[in-house]
Amino acid sequence: MKGVALVTGAGRGLGRILATFLAGQGHDLVIASRTPTELHDVARSLESTGVKVVAIPGDITDPLHRTRLLQQTGAIGGLSLLVNNASDLGEIPRPELALASLQRFRMTLETNLIAPIALIQEALPQLEQTRGLVVNISSDASQRGYEHWGIYGSSKAALDLASKTLAAELKPRHISIVSVDPGDMRTRMHQDAFPDEDISDRPLPEVTLPFWAWLVSQHPERITGMRYQAQGTLWEIPA
Amino acid sequence: MNRSELLFERPTGLFASEPPETRGHDRDDVRLIVSTPEGDTHHAFTDLPWLLEPGDLVVVNESATLPASLPATCRLGRIRLNLSTRFADDLWLAEPRWSPSIPGPLPLYMKETLKIGEAKAVLLQQYPGLPRLWLTRLDTPASILMAKYGEPIHYSYAPAYPMSNYQTLFSRFPGSAEMPSASRPITPHVRDTLRERGIGIVGVILHTGVSSLEIEDSTVEHQALYPEVFKVPEATANAVNRTHARGGRVIAVGTTVVRALETAWTLKGVRACSGATGLYIHPGTSVHVIDALLTGLHDPVTSHLAMVSAIAGLPRVKRAYAEAIRNRYLWHEFGDSHLLWRQIAN
Repeated sequence: MKGVALVTGAGRGLGRILATFLAGQGHDLVIASRTPTELHDVARSLESTGVKVVAIPGDITDPLHRTRLLQQTGAIGGLSLLVNNASDLGEIPRPELALASLQRFRMTLETNLIAPIALIQEALPQLEQTRGLVVNISSDASQRGYEHWGIYGSSKAALDLASKTLAAELKPRHISIVSVDPGDMRTRMHQDAFPDEDISDRPLPEVTLPFWAWLVSQHPERITGMRYQAQGTLWEIPA
Repeated sequence: MNRSELLFERPTGLFASEPPETRGHDRDDVRLIVSTPEGDTHHAFTDLPWLLEPGDLVVVNESATLPASLPATCRLGRIRLNLSTRFADDLWLAEPRWSPSIPGPLPLYMKETLKIGEAKAVLLQQYPGLPRLWLTRLDTPASILMAKYGEPIHYSYAPAYPMSNYQTLFSRFPGSAEMPSASRPITPHVRDTLRERGIGIVGVILHTGVSSLEIEDSTVEHQALYPEVFKVPEATANAVNRTHARGGRVIAVGTTVVRALETAWTLKGVRACSGATGLYIHPGTSVHVIDALLTGLHDPVTSHLAMVSAIAGLPRVKRAYAEAIRNRYLWHEFGDSHLLWRQIAN
């Protein structure tokens, strides 16, 4: 019995791979995505694994959707692993920050920053019960200041800081938080970010599986507050 | 670098098939070839303390070897499942093989179940870039399966010997799929002589996975490597830094020690560090911590040979290997030893 995991943005790319891996590992799952056809396709592909899989389509910025997700995790045993993976790239093509639509910027922040924190807030009772782990998906764009990456990058930088802060604040309640930069991958999001580029040299999201296998095998409280690069050379356990 | 640059010819008669002690010899009764920029010299392994200087530091791997090779049955019949890398007691990276001598990859599928006695192993996913390795979920803790069915991982050139043959003087923390064999010839006598000469001995832990991989990618740098669990304790980090500060040299015993120490390197020296490391040292990368490597002789086109070449330079390694072959040195974990000083002094 591995507990219940909630993966947002699970319809494709990294979220799908991660949901598949967690199901194979024996986690019961609640999976969410804005695209019902993709999400139900993922749920169907997991039928043979023998774990419970509840697919709930919806927009993560919608409070009612979030509440429904957490009602389900509660109903099937209580959330022990929350993966905030759903992300919004913002305007395409990616504008310079100085010229960006502020309205659109707010939408990106809603998805990438506010919604994950809202989910954590609402999930606290369940996570406290299970001494659970929250994984916030980040990006190297959060650290570099790449041109044209200001909106997505700053939303992820803020999420990184929120992860660290929450890790410190929630330590006494035995709830653990890490942020994970999965690295460049051949996904729809990456193609959307580089619409004119051939991204076939990027690895498929499966490249991150060894990291997830390692991460879910760690004691959450020993790694809380860490930021990991899934494709990096060192996954450190702090002293 | 093209993989073909790491190719060399070597007669199969040079594979060590048994430990020296089964022939009534001591473990340190093996040969030692020493490579410096000036050339290669031949020694007995017991000369090691006199090839180092007082104030030098020897770093060994304290990981102990597991009986990680399990008999399994599946749709294809009787096979072997070699456990490589532990994520959790029920989640491993593992290599299904036809037999000790016949490797995979086997025609297996995702979600396929292997049986080990009454226990089940489910193949979750092939390792990215290394299709012969599978992330594998066990319904029974691996520690129980190994105690019941396990034998040491071994290959065509040697049978399985009793487990004690796969432990070294420094084996303290069980976790390696294969013996970290570089320190195997260090007997209590050699250890005590090192200490009497004022040469320190400290430990790191790195749990080895299945053997140094043959590089399959045409470009050496692009080969995928799997991570290994390691720990550089604070006392060891301090000892390494003190040795360098005093002008002493750091000798890594085994490629595993290089991987651990170089992972823990920072601009301010080595720091205490633990976790999993995927560091790949190959020609084109630099080593910062170690001044020499004591190791065995490695197979052609392997990641270990890439590391050795990064440390001593490919021409020097090729020269030394030609010399070792001419003098009939023995390869593999029960074989002879090689001490290489790095190509550029600190």
